[in-house]
Amino acid sequence: MKLLTATNRYHVLLAALLFTIGSGLLYFGVLWALQGEAEERLFQQRDYLRREVQRTGRLPGTPFEGRMQLSTTPQPEGLRDVLLLEPLENELEPYRQLTFRLQLAGRPQWVSLSKSLLETEDVRLLIMWLLLGVLGALLGCMVLLNRWLARRLWAPFERTLQQLRTYDVRQHQVLQLPGTRIEEFAQLNLTLTRLSERVAADYASLKEFTENAAHETRTPLAIMQAKLEQLLQLPDLPAPAGPLVADLYAAVQRLARLHQGLTLLSKIENQQFAQAVPVSLAALLREKLDQLEGFIEDKQLRLEVSLPATGTLPLHPALADSLVSNLLHNAIRHNQPGGLLRVMLTGTELAITNTGPPLAPTQNPAQFFERFRKQNATSDSPGLGLSIVQGIAVFYGFEVRYEYAAEQALHTLRVVFKH
Amino acid sequence: MKLLIVEDEPALRTSLVEYLRQDGYVVEAAANYAQAHEKIKLYQYDCVLLDLTLPDGNGLDLLRTLRADSSPAGVLIVSARGALDDKVLGLELGADDYLAKPFHLSELSARLKAIIRRRQFQGQRQLLFQELTVLPDQAQVLVHGEAVALTRKEYDLLLYLLTHPGRVLTKESIAEHVWGDAADAADSFDFLYTHLKNLRRKLQEKGAGDYIRSVYGVGYKFSAE
Repeated sequence: MKLLTATNRYHVLLAALLFTIGSGLLYFGVLWALQGEAEERLFQQRDYLRREVQRTGRLPGTPFEGRMQLSTTPQPEGLRDVLLLEPLENELEPYRQLTFRLQLAGRPQWVSLSKSLLETEDVRLLIMWLLLGVLGALLGCMVLLNRWLARRLWAPFERTLQQLRTYDVRQHQVLQLPGTRIEEFAQLNLTLTRLSERVAADYASLKEFTENAAHETRTPLAIMQAKLEQLLQLPDLPAPAGPLVADLYAAVQRLARLHQGLTLLSKIENQQFAQAVPVSLAALLREKLDQLEGFIEDKQLRLEVSLPATGTLPLHPALADSLVSNLLHNAIRHNQPGGLLRVMLTGTELAITNTGPPLAPTQNPAQFFERFRKQNATSDSPGLGLSIVQGIAVFYGFEVRYEYAAEQALHTLRVVFKH
Repeated sequence: MKLLIVEDEPALRTSLVEYLRQDGYVVEAAANYAQAHEKIKLYQYDCVLLDLTLPDGNGLDLLRTLRADSSPAGVLIVSARGALDDKVLGLELGADDYLAKPFHLSELSARLKAIIRRRQFQGQRQLLFQELTVLPDQAQVLVHGEAVALTRKEYDLLLYLLTHPGRVLTKESIAEHVWGDAADAADSFDFLYTHLKNLRRKLQEKGAGDYIRSVYGVGYKFSAE
């Protein structure tokens, strides 16, 4: 529900309530006033008649408009509402009647004076229609006003919303919001502009930090690696020192690769891979499988490949490469000699299946995507492969599923592009 | 062969200078942009090793200067930034190759040699080692003038070993040079052993000596001794 509709609903409800009460009060008030007026007139006439009878001893002619009836039989005295036949129109019409006793020529007579309430009825109807008309007009105007306000007053808000929808911190932009005369919107725009400035600054500093961290750690790593390599070249290096230096060297290598993986992950999370080009996964997979041919043969893997031309996906080339490499490397490394490697690509998903070590019931496949989670603790790999796969998938809105078929110990990683 | 090394980190610079001098190059070094700029304006180099982040300037500007002067020097960028943009921009500006820190010294030297080979049009474009001859243009290996049929990987392996005669090459650097990232697919470096064994056998069948020596716990060495 729109904000304006919601507030308008309350306005309309309140207006209707006030109108009903007001109309009621006015209606009955007018009724009461008109009836009082009629009664007052009737009392005046009674007093006049009494005075005349006292003075002259008989009733005057018919000096009043309205009606006067005389009766010798006793009548209940006082005021009452009656319906009398209107001879001209031959209809019953409402009258206010005052009955009183009069001593006429020594005998009591009962006089009933009537006054038509027909005008009162007219006024009542008039008031009712008038009020209904005004109420209707008011409600109609409110609806129209609502529409106009929605179009006009809320326009700056809609513009702000539109800008926010297309806002992308990766573009290093600060929001450019149009000025507005409405104070609340002006404040909103000001706050949002400041927020976007802060966000842009934070993003820039985060990016700078990532790059600095990457830069500053790479240089000492390069020094360590270079010095160790030089150490290995020394002609008089004692023989037992060789493997020690080599282990150090391998550790530096691992650190470097770890660093590379983590930097990649944080760059993906910081969404620093905004550019995308159409990438054919089929071609990429074919190329990678080609490069891995030796390793597939070494393990004597049964290769089942289905790579139909499925068109392209808009991906960053480095991320596409990383995604495919990590999946394939994972499937080969954890495979068993003579095992199966199945690569199935369709328009909607990429599924890579490999034979592998049986999964213990205590192992939770969700943990495979956690960083540094390794199936084989002695492995040299930093254990970031599947985290990177998942990071890339999340970045592109893909879904990664892990499936395990226990009877053949088949592990499947499924990347669903659209869901 | 004259090289210029532009690197602001002293420890790394000395390692590079020493390693490359042992390879037989004449090596000069510059620690910052100003020094490097002066040197490339004054002297001719066969190859320049360029660090992009210098305290007083951007290495890419040195590359621009070299190309603006139509210098024949090859340029190998060595960057710690590792950002893809740098690589693309560097290669667009006319660098011959790009290497991200950290790197294997042996890999760096192999790349330098490849650049120099590519840039030497008049020179002899072949590598010689005892009875072995490698013709990089044809990707061909001759033993006593007779061709040996090698797979692509075996050829790459041999070329890498041959480029570093007498050097100890770590398994990591060999695997990375020949297989690249794909080496991640293996759980150990055992595959190296298999490939080297095949290479050794093919060379010996043609009558070549056994020059591939294993260095215990470290890697391999190509040596006649």
